[in-house]
Amino acid sequence: MTPAYDRNNIFAKILRGEAPCTKVYEDEFALAFRDIHPKAKVHVLAIPKGEYVSLADFAQSAPPDMVAGFWRAVTRVAERLGVADGYRIGSNVGPGGGQIVFHFHVHILSGPRQ
Amino acid sequence: MPSQPPHHLAPYDRNNIFARILRGEAPCTRVYEDEFALAFNNIHPAAPVHVLVVPKGEYVSNADFSASATDALIAGFWRAVAKTATVLGLDESGYRLVANHGPDANQVVFHFHVHIIGGRQLRGVSGRGPVPSDGG
Repeated sequence: MTPAYDRNNIFAKILRGEAPCTKVYEDEFALAFRDIHPKAKVHVLAIPKGEYVSLADFAQSAPPDMVAGFWRAVTRVAERLGVADGYRIGSNVGPGGGQIVFHFHVHILSGPRQ
Repeated sequence: MPSQPPHHLAPYDRNNIFARILRGEAPCTRVYEDEFALAFNNIHPAAPVHVLVVPKGEYVSNADFSASATDALIAGFWRAVAKTATVLGLDESGYRLVANHGPDANQVVFHFHVHIIGGRQLRGVSGRGPVPSDGG
């Protein structure tokens, strides 16, 4: 079962500037930064600027312009990373789905696994 | 007319298998459908639950979809993905979503689609769990 949103989760702290990150992209809808434990040559996380625990929560609760803006941001991240010809997007939903941080995030992966 | 896709992907092919499924010309085992999306079982499942969700429109990839579709369609599509997971009974157990973009990432069918994978304990997004190679 997905827990309630915790305003002290690490991604909330990164969004507030209270925790560091290596930023690769930011706009009004999203922030993207390097995963500190990369599983591939390129491994970036994109998160929306809002309090959503999971993709399901985001899809059901966020306004359409934010949902669209977020996914457009994901595309721009891939372009900025130079991986637009080949990348994988992944998102884990719920503890049983492997989700660890309960602020919705999308993994953008490209290149050989590490 | 299909839009010119970004990122060097081939133009949209109206005879791709998912387009044919959407037109009812090819069979599928339907899981969920609404005005924005169709969800059906993957014929080569990588996990006990492995469903594909496709938008009702001509988009080669997530990048094309995000760049070209309206806000309403994008939001409706992702809501349909969440509803599909609910229909599959995955809200309690959890699940993984994957989308491959481009031939370098094993995208095989060039109609944008999201994999919903569940039915067993999953680990990190690129860990040892099932990784669809996009067999369609």
